[in-house]
Amino acid sequence: MPESGYPWPISTTRLDNGLRVVVSADRTAPAVAVNLWYDVGSRHEPVGQTGFAHLFEHLMFEGSVNVAKTEHMKLVQGAGGSLNATTNPDRTNYFETVPAEQLELALWLEADRMGGLVPALTQETLDNQRDVVKNERRQRYENVPYGDAWLRLLPLLYPPGHPYHHATIGSMADLNAADLATFQAFHQTYYAPNNAVLTVVGDTSVDEVVALAEKYFGAIAPRPEIPPAPDGRTVPATGVPAVETVVTDVPAPRVYVAHRTYPFGTPGYDVVTVLATVLGSGRGSRLYQRLADGERLAQPDLVGAYGVDLAHAPAPLIATATARPGVTGERLAEGLAEVVDELATVPVTPTELDRAKALLTTAWWRQMSTVDGRADALGRYATQFGDPATVAERLPAWLAVTAEQIAEVAAEVLAADDRVTLTYRPEEQP
Amino acid sequence: MTLVADRPGPGAARPYRFPQVVRRTVAGGQVVAAHLPGQNLAVALLLLDAGAGREPVGKEGLGGVLAKALEEGTSQRDATAYALAIEALGTELVTGLDWDTFQASVQVPVDRLGAAVALLAEAVRTPKLDPDDVRRVRDDEATALRMDWANPGPRADAALRADLFGVDNRWGRPMYGDPDSVAALDVEDVTVFHSEWFIRPGTLVVAGDLDRIDLDGLAAAAFAGTGGGPVDRGGAIDVPLRTGRRIILVDRPGSVQSTLRLGHPAPHRAHPDHVPIALAGTVLGGAFTSRLNHLIREVRGYTYGIRGDFASSRRFGRFAVSSGVQTAVTAPALVESIGEIARTQAGGVTEDELAVARSWRAGQLSVELQSPRAIAGALTTLVVHDLPDDYHARLRESLLAADVAQVSAAAATHLHPESLTLVVEGDAALIRDELVATGLGEVVDYAPAD
Repeated sequence: MPESGYPWPISTTRLDNGLRVVVSADRTAPAVAVNLWYDVGSRHEPVGQTGFAHLFEHLMFEGSVNVAKTEHMKLVQGAGGSLNATTNPDRTNYFETVPAEQLELALWLEADRMGGLVPALTQETLDNQRDVVKNERRQRYENVPYGDAWLRLLPLLYPPGHPYHHATIGSMADLNAADLATFQAFHQTYYAPNNAVLTVVGDTSVDEVVALAEKYFGAIAPRPEIPPAPDGRTVPATGVPAVETVVTDVPAPRVYVAHRTYPFGTPGYDVVTVLATVLGSGRGSRLYQRLADGERLAQPDLVGAYGVDLAHAPAPLIATATARPGVTGERLAEGLAEVVDELATVPVTPTELDRAKALLTTAWWRQMSTVDGRADALGRYATQFGDPATVAERLPAWLAVTAEQIAEVAAEVLAADDRVTLTYRPEEQP
Repeated sequence: MTLVADRPGPGAARPYRFPQVVRRTVAGGQVVAAHLPGQNLAVALLLLDAGAGREPVGKEGLGGVLAKALEEGTSQRDATAYALAIEALGTELVTGLDWDTFQASVQVPVDRLGAAVALLAEAVRTPKLDPDDVRRVRDDEATALRMDWANPGPRADAALRADLFGVDNRWGRPMYGDPDSVAALDVEDVTVFHSEWFIRPGTLVVAGDLDRIDLDGLAAAAFAGTGGGPVDRGGAIDVPLRTGRRIILVDRPGSVQSTLRLGHPAPHRAHPDHVPIALAGTVLGGAFTSRLNHLIREVRGYTYGIRGDFASSRRFGRFAVSSGVQTAVTAPALVESIGEIARTQAGGVTEDELAVARSWRAGQLSVELQSPRAIAGALTTLVVHDLPDDYHARLRESLLAADVAQVSAAAATHLHPESLTLVVEGDAALIRDELVATGLGEVVDYAPAD
């Protein structure tokens, strides 16, 4: 077993304006990944402004002082690169992977939208991207069966006012109300060099990246006070199960069981990660063996469990199953709850534990097999834990988890009286 | 303003490198491997000439059922023991099929590759195929397809495919079958398909650090007990174009978006225009910066995304555009999409657009070919289409050398806006009249063949 989950060099430099620059050179392939984590996500959104962090992410592709509208995408793709961005409750990340000789272009583009977005932001752009985002909401959440499960689970897991109470996509009403001044202020507040981590991985050197970062980002002014998101680390247990049933146009009953666990990055969450794999990854998992294979309550392709890796509050663990024909939602929910309950009472065997660790090991190296996967991981660890080198600790921490720890954690955070159960039922009940 | 205003140019280009390719014949089968020095993860993929194109008409989905049945126990262990054995190595058995091939693969830390390939071979070559298990897997697959077909898309795809290629042909029916075709399969269909196609040796594709991999050992395990040689794969199929457009309306009551699938037949993979066709498709609809996405998403705000491309297998190909648009703008989205296709066909591409398209496609050959999984996919292309070891380097050169005249000629020859089939899956009650009013073509209701 490896001592380290990150056997490549890591260097961190902080520019005078507070921008942290993380470099990990690897000359294996002539490509370089550029990744920016901004420490702002939907957890920062006040009531009435849900969806703004994500809509803002769209605006970042629409031009800045030296980059004309539509030019950003064209320049990266015209350089042979791949690019995208994502927003989640915790943070917003922007990334491109380009042929190594195009590194400077990528850094110039990122600096221009960090330091010069606001003057280029227009009402027309906002209106257009608002429509795009509303279509994204329709496509991903409204027009597909079970598509709104995540939107329903969050308010059941987190109380009003909690930073994870609402989903990142936001509400249509809030998106409709979004005005230009709010977005200008959003950029000025959060898109500051001292609120970001720039990571570069691949065919380059520390000296080259630091010099280029200084050249392009060095003159962007820091922002003295960046308002923190509300503190969500403590979520009092209600002692009352939260149960919601949705009767709608779905092809079969489906159940989600969800719990708040620990924040990503804590020892408790490492245990949850292994526990989730024991519970719901692969045909050897407990859910598959018990519900899909054993009692044949669940469709084999649609059972699973996973943790959602959020770092600023107890992160959710979600287990789900979809009923085979003839099985009711109630019966399935009972079966699912039973398997989750047993994590505290039926000890995880060495075979189960080794299986889970082997799957997690492969998943880890899969992320590390590309320069973009590595860059995103380093950006995460630098942003959330203050030191990118701590990335190396995650895999060994998973591999050190014991069966006793799993039982303890299950007893502590998977109790039935603090459980969220969301059931979808077809209009015509089978 | 303190930002640097001048856009930097590129630095010195690094030479393009595709990993070193190793080919061997071992134990009657072919091995094609790529050397990825220092890579901790490795992928092995067994490629069989058992794609959807080998399924008889009326038996669509056979390969998918067999794929699942492989894991329901083998000559050596039951289903649970098999799952525990292979997952203890850190991998699941990943199966997949397309028109040309069936693929089974494993992805593990490199020191476990030998054990993983032995288990892969055990499932592919010697599955138990107990009749009760096969029937249950078949029923589960039919249910899984029913779930999938409750989403927007699969019915529209089926309608387009049937209209382009004809439901009397296997390639005019869905690649993975539909819920009814799968439900109608019987045990013998599955066992016969296995004995006909799954015990021929095939090709083992390996991507990983070859200094730490025993290729001959892997091949011996993968090809043990196999027999039979290659079977004629058939030539390119001549698919006629429609005369005139038609709109096929697939009703999805309550839908908040309309799912669009526009298409017509196009050349097969080995067509000499392959590179200019791909570039024309990229300019029109293959990238975020393409004409379609620019107009329909970035200017009009009708959609979260729209793409169009040429896709091809060994025997046939198609051009298709797909999107989901807000219900209220279904008709204008359709009209404007066809407008862009027609404009591209008639007027070709500009040097500006082509410059982006060729650099992007060439750059992707470095940027997207990093992981063992991606490299294994690239090797699969070499095998399926009989391409040389230096194919990716040559492809890169052809992409960078393609000029406006060639790509515009490909657009003129291979785009057929007047022959498009326009499938619209949405709330028919809300959109039918508008679709009729567009005058784009006769509106017919989707009637799946039984």
